[in-house]
Parts: sequence; structure tokens; C-alpha cells
Amino acid sequence: MTAMDWTSTAGLLAGRVAIVTGASGGVGRGLARALALAGARVVVAARSPAGGAETVAQIEAEGGQGLFVATDVCDADAVRRTVEASVQAFGGLDIVVHNAASTLAKPTPLEDIDDALWAEQAGVSLDALHHLAHAALPHLRDTGRGRFLVLSSAQGQHGGAMNPAYTALKAAQRGFVKALAREWGPHDIVVNALAPAALTDAARTYLKADPERTREAMKSFPLGRMGDMRDDIGPAAVAMCSDLWRYVTGQTVNVDGGYYTAL
Amino acid sequence: MTLSTSPPGALDGALALVVELGLPVMSGVAEGLGDAGAEVVVLRDPRLAGSSDDVEAALAVALDPGRAPALVVLSLLAEATTALGPLDGVDLQAWRAGAADPIRIAMRVLTALGARMKPAGRGAILFLAPSLSLVGGAGMVALSTALEGQRGLMKSVARQWGASGVTVNWAAAAPRALSPHFDAADLAAKGDAVPIALGRRPDARTEIAGLAAWLAGPAGRGVTGATLMIDGGEWMVP
Repeated sequence: MTAMDWTSTAGLLAGRVAIVTGASGGVGRGLARALALAGARVVVAARSPAGGAETVAQIEAEGGQGLFVATDVCDADAVRRTVEASVQAFGGLDIVVHNAASTLAKPTPLEDIDDALWAEQAGVSLDALHHLAHAALPHLRDTGRGRFLVLSSAQGQHGGAMNPAYTALKAAQRGFVKALAREWGPHDIVVNALAPAALTDAARTYLKADPERTREAMKSFPLGRMGDMRDDIGPAAVAMCSDLWRYVTGQTVNVDGGYYTAL
Repeated sequence: MTLSTSPPGALDGALALVVELGLPVMSGVAEGLGDAGAEVVVLRDPRLAGSSDDVEAALAVALDPGRAPALVVLSLLAEATTALGPLDGVDLQAWRAGAADPIRIAMRVLTALGARMKPAGRGAILFLAPSLSLVGGAGMVALSTALEGQRGLMKSVARQWGASGVTVNWAAAAPRALSPHFDAADLAAKGDAVPIALGRRPDARTEIAGLAAWLAGPAGRGVTGATLMIDGGEWMVP
């Protein structure tokens, strides 16, 4: 595997301002760094100040501009303040990437999903989309550069057996994207979903514990590996947020090494 | 053209439960299941939108203790879900009621049905919904979100329950075949010289009920987790 050549995306997002939710670590951090490497100024929206600061530090170490804004995506006022902070600090908002996911999205059988678990997961997945769409629309509309990208999951497509709430909510986000793409198309806003297979710390720990399980799991990936958050998932997000993909909307794009090919 | 009804006797003596919440879409389907010989019980109860205990109480009215339906046809659309209008005009309360609650309700209803049907070792559950969530629609963000969430849930539960012999599927029907409510909707249109292959919408009493009856029969037991388009060949989704 060759290293990602970041000169190929340099300047693709120059002059753009992006908010990435859940960017204090994991996939969100990888996406934030990738957007910044492509020239975007990035608002790192997350609850964790320490993680958010680390993401900003990594963006700056790579020559980019980042700003951490403490954000609970389930709180409409907090989301509104984050959008306002983006406008105040960087002069506008062009790109929203909703990546934040519930920390409670663990395998749970259908009959064990109680109201609290459901409310927490639905809040991060669906309430947050409502808040972000409401707050961002005035800035995204009619500029020709508006991008709204939702991090979904192949589980929402093939139906993960062990995690029905997560599966349902990730599928719901695809429905959101398809409808909003049609609704916001006249405003020249592109709305898509990205379904990654990322080698997160959690995935790494899970796989490291059992080499045999790792070998079996990797058979699901034609490329033989899960994706690096910055170097494999990130470039696809950059392209989707750039002018290169300005005529693609309402789609779910699997960035997963060929894991899900059923469409 | 003349439409034949579902094969008489296809569901002879079988218990078919029709569950409907919100937008009325099931009357033709219920009649068609009766035509096929089923004993049809229709459950329209606002408690279906409540807690697990509420759902159990609603089902207990419809089903005798220990009796499992051979077929369940479900439509769970809250009033807020089918409201038409742009997302920026939808407040948080309406958004939750329209987009998230129908998924929670579907989880509760499926849980209660599973407790009855899995021990019986067989049975078919079919969600019936407008096909518009598969293509999206302006002014229908909550509806599209809720339906795709239910459809994802259907797939997950189909995997969980497959070994029990209970199948779970999704029928995506032409919206205007289900309800005149969608006459006012800005439905996505298929730009083609032949936009609908059959040139007509499906008939609920014969064709949608017929699909449900087939799924409940021996030939349909190998189908689960599927999305079955019954739109006359309009979208032909991959």
C-alpha cells in the first residue's frame, strides 16, 4: 500500500469553512485533518475539550487552521452557537460534516433497548441533524458551495443483526439525506452520506485481541484492510465536499475497501 | 382490466393481523387478506405509540393469549411523519414525533410480536409503506427519515429472527395507491418514456394483499430482509 499523496487534494477546499462534529477523535478527527489538508478552515465541534484541542493541534501541525468549539450536538442552542462561532472566526460556513455518534451505540438486542438508550442514540443521530440543518441552512444556501455530509454506516444498508437501534438510525440518516437532497437542491446545496469502514481505536482493540478473528474479518474487505481515518476515509470526504462532486447529491457512498457492494 | 383476487384459500384459516397507526392505508389490504381466507384482525390503537406495556396491552386486545398470527402487515406512520413541508419549518418536537418516534414505535411493536411469533416457529411480518423513502422527496424529510429507519430496523430484525422461522420484509408501494394524502405531495417523478412499466398503480386489495399472502405461504418462507417494490415497475431500484 502506498502512502496517500496529499498534494493531490491540496487547495481543493481552499477558502471553504467546514464544521466537523464528533471531531475530538476517531473518524471525526481523521476527517477534520483531511479537510484541513485540502485547504479548509475547520471548526472542530465536540464535547471533549482535550480531544478537540488535540485535533486542532494536529491540524495546525499539518499546516492547517482549526478551531475547537465545545458542542453537544443534541443541544440546539449549542449547535447554533457553533455555527455562529464558525461565521465569526472564519467568515462563513460552507461544509457541515455530521460524524458524531453515540458512545452507547454498542450491540444491544432489540428487546433490551430501553427508552434511555433509544433517546440518547436518536438524539445524536437525528436530533443533531435537525439542529445542524436549521442552523446551517442560512449560510449554505445559494452559494454554490454548500455541502452537507452525513456519516452513515453499511450496517444501515445490510442490516446489522446485533445492533438494531444503530442500524435503524444509520438507515434513517440515509432517508434524511435522500429527501433533503431533493429539498435543498434548488438552493444549490449538495447533501450526501458517507458510509466508512474505518480502523478506529475501538476496531483496532477488538481485532488485536484475536488474530484469527482479524483474518476472518478481513475477508470481508476486498482491499484486505479497514481504512485509515485520515488517509483512506478522509480523501473521499474531501472530494465529496469539493467542486469535484458538485453534481452528486442524495447518495450514500461506501468508503469501505469494497466491504458493501450489494447495490 | 379485470383483476383477480388473491388465490382463494391461500391463507385459509390463518390468523392475519393488520396493524395500523396514523395514516389509514390498510383497508384494501385487510379486505384482500379476508378474500384469501384469512381470519383478519385489524388493530388500530393509539397505545401502539406508547410504552412497551402500552403496546402489550394493545396487542392483548387483538390476540388471544398464546395465539400467534401467521401473518402481520404493519403500517406505523405518526401524524407528524406524514405532514408535508420543508424541514426548516419543522420544530424539534414535530421532528422527533415525525422522524424518530416511528422507529421507536416499530421497535416496540416488533418486540411484542416477536414474543408471540418466535415460539410458534414461523410467521411472516410485512411492513407496508410508500416507496417515496427510497427515492426521497422534498417536503418529506421526516417521512423519508422515519421510513428508512424502519426499513433498516426490518433488516436487522430479519437477521436476528431468521433462525426462529419468522420472516420480516418490506413492501414499498406506490404512494398514491396507499392514500390520497400523497396526492398533495411533491413526489419524485421518473423521467422516462414509460415512467411506470405496468402503466398503473398496484391494487391494494388484490396485489398488495396478494404479496403479503404469498410471503406467509410456503413459497415465501425463504424471503426475509427483502425490500419488495410494488409500484408497477416505476423505480426498479438496484
